[in-house]
Amino acid sequence: MNNTVLIWIALPLLLGLALVTIQRFRRLSTILATIIPLLLAGSALLFSGGLNLQIIGRVFTLSDSFQVFGRTIQITADQLRILALLYFLCFLWNLISGMFDVGRWFNSLSLVITALWGAVQFISPFLYSAVVIELIALISTPLLSPRGTPARNGVIRFLSMQTLALPLILLSGWMVSGIETSPSAESLVLRGSLLVIAGFSLWAGIFPVHSWLPMLTEETHPWIITFLQTIMQIGLALFFLAFLNHFAWLRNLDGLTQVLKWIGSLCVVSAGVMLVFQRKLSRVLGYIYLAGTGYIVLAMASTQQGPLELISLMLLPLTFSYWSLGFTFSALRQALDSEILDYDELVGLVWRYPRISILLVASLLNSFGMPLFSLFPSRRIILGIVATESLPIRLFISVGILGMVLMLLRLLSVILQPPPDVGQDKVESPLLVLPVALILLLMLVGGLFPQFFSAPLNGLLVSFQNLLK
Amino acid sequence: MVGSILAGAVNYLPFGWGLLMDDILHFLPIYLALAAAILNLVRRQWTLNLISLAVLFISMIPPLLRILPTPLALILPFTGLMVTLILYLTLLNVGGIERIHLFRRPTSGEIFRALVGIFLITILRVFLPIIQQAIFPQVSLSHLLLSLGLVLVGLLQLGTIQEPFYLTIGILTFLSGFQILISALEFSYLLEALFVAVNLLLAIVGAFFIVKNEESKQHE
Repeated sequence: MNNTVLIWIALPLLLGLALVTIQRFRRLSTILATIIPLLLAGSALLFSGGLNLQIIGRVFTLSDSFQVFGRTIQITADQLRILALLYFLCFLWNLISGMFDVGRWFNSLSLVITALWGAVQFISPFLYSAVVIELIALISTPLLSPRGTPARNGVIRFLSMQTLALPLILLSGWMVSGIETSPSAESLVLRGSLLVIAGFSLWAGIFPVHSWLPMLTEETHPWIITFLQTIMQIGLALFFLAFLNHFAWLRNLDGLTQVLKWIGSLCVVSAGVMLVFQRKLSRVLGYIYLAGTGYIVLAMASTQQGPLELISLMLLPLTFSYWSLGFTFSALRQALDSEILDYDELVGLVWRYPRISILLVASLLNSFGMPLFSLFPSRRIILGIVATESLPIRLFISVGILGMVLMLLRLLSVILQPPPDVGQDKVESPLLVLPVALILLLMLVGGLFPQFFSAPLNGLLVSFQNLLK
Repeated sequence: MVGSILAGAVNYLPFGWGLLMDDILHFLPIYLALAAAILNLVRRQWTLNLISLAVLFISMIPPLLRILPTPLALILPFTGLMVTLILYLTLLNVGGIERIHLFRRPTSGEIFRALVGIFLITILRVFLPIIQQAIFPQVSLSHLLLSLGLVLVGLLQLGTIQEPFYLTIGILTFLSGFQILISALEFSYLLEALFVAVNLLLAIVGAFFIVKNEESKQHE
């Protein structure tokens, strides 16, 4: 077991499967599912400086490649930071999963899914990762559609979309396989690029093929869906960077930056407009993810003009913002004993559950990228680069942000109303003040000192040599 | 092997008949597979759908034998048959296996789906030479007809049906079509292994959906 692939991909996969056998012992399963990714993330960071490490006089040397079915999978020291990020994310979500009713599959499958997202980044030829993403979608099914309820439309549409994306990505690679030797084949490049963009749009739920996103957030427990969507968004962003890094024809395509800008701004504007008309907080979460995808795409477009580090600057604040949203929505769901969190159920929330209400407003402000909050620094840079060029894009993003603000004002008007007299509410635990204060503090620290979140991810993208300027 | 035995038998027929039979034997499994896929799209009888699924996967063997060595050509059909078996056992456990009513009057929805399926296959057949020339010059017409036909019927199934069992069949049909196409373009053991994992997981997800739906019906 002195191989990076075995330690950070095969071992967690096996441990995840082993956790399935002890999932009846919920507490033990949660503890193990918290400790294992933390150890994996920590050790990945330790070895990210080099695969030879001296600890207390003993030298540990790891090899970086592994053969499977005649293909080589390689994870170098530089790339271990990516795995550290993914396992840290898994650790964050497992850490307090015991507080919520997330079902007994969560701990084991979250570890398996994280290992598979790690594999997606390093399989060679990397286009085959498309099949692994399909595997992840299928493995997520027991989490998205727990037993006792019939399979609903969101999960069915999600599976269909993920399946449709698979052939597009695989064919794109085959279609332009000889392009390096005949760079004049413009029509092939165009076809390949269209397939790649269509494939990623279906995977990430980009406007207008996003309908499964709010449906899924409505049907699934917020803690589960925030984990799955966050790791998917980050995994796909890194995978798209791998595409850009690997394929010169895609990277150098005329107009790619412009296309990405339009896709990103369309996501932001559609999310903003749809947010205004929502009456269920559970669906709001879906549109926040749509806007988040839009900003990531805009960041990808910005890296053509700005530094690649912009992506790593936004990844940790984004993870934290989704984590806090997941925590807030889950706490709210538990307090109100409601799955869909309709606005009617939120009337007078501030007077009934003041701590959760404060957290709700702060989490939404944070995820919208408002000033003082942790996502603001990266959003400000993205908008500074992207929106200064084209008036329609500027207009689209402004309308999107306006929609988000209007949604927040509408929600405030609901939660600030006098509470209805509907019998006994659950009592909010005074201990909740501690996590609420901590999360608020982290949001503000991240907003005021951006390096607090960006420093740990320094050098995350050094393996994308062709994209570094 | 089956193909060579049949081809040998055809050689003993009179000249014209031999060519005709050769043509029929070449296209028969392809049209059989497409017919099975369309039957799955149209009819809503679980037992009939499972038989069609088995026929679909068995019919894939001769076209795959033409492009791959026998052990490799059998991977996809055998995986498909395993998937069918998993679905069959699940349906058996929940009491979903019933007598087939072959001559039941078709509903308007069934007629619509059948017509759309046949229309799509016909359109595909007409434009196939152009598609071959423009995109897949190295793939034979019959192979393209089978693979793209299955992809289209699978897509149609995914787009028109919400029931999880038929979603599973739709995804299986769609992915089988694509696997047949990709096996003509490039072969990789890793890719094949990943597709086997996807197909088997799909069967488990399908079984999970079937059991879940039955459980929730009982709760109601």
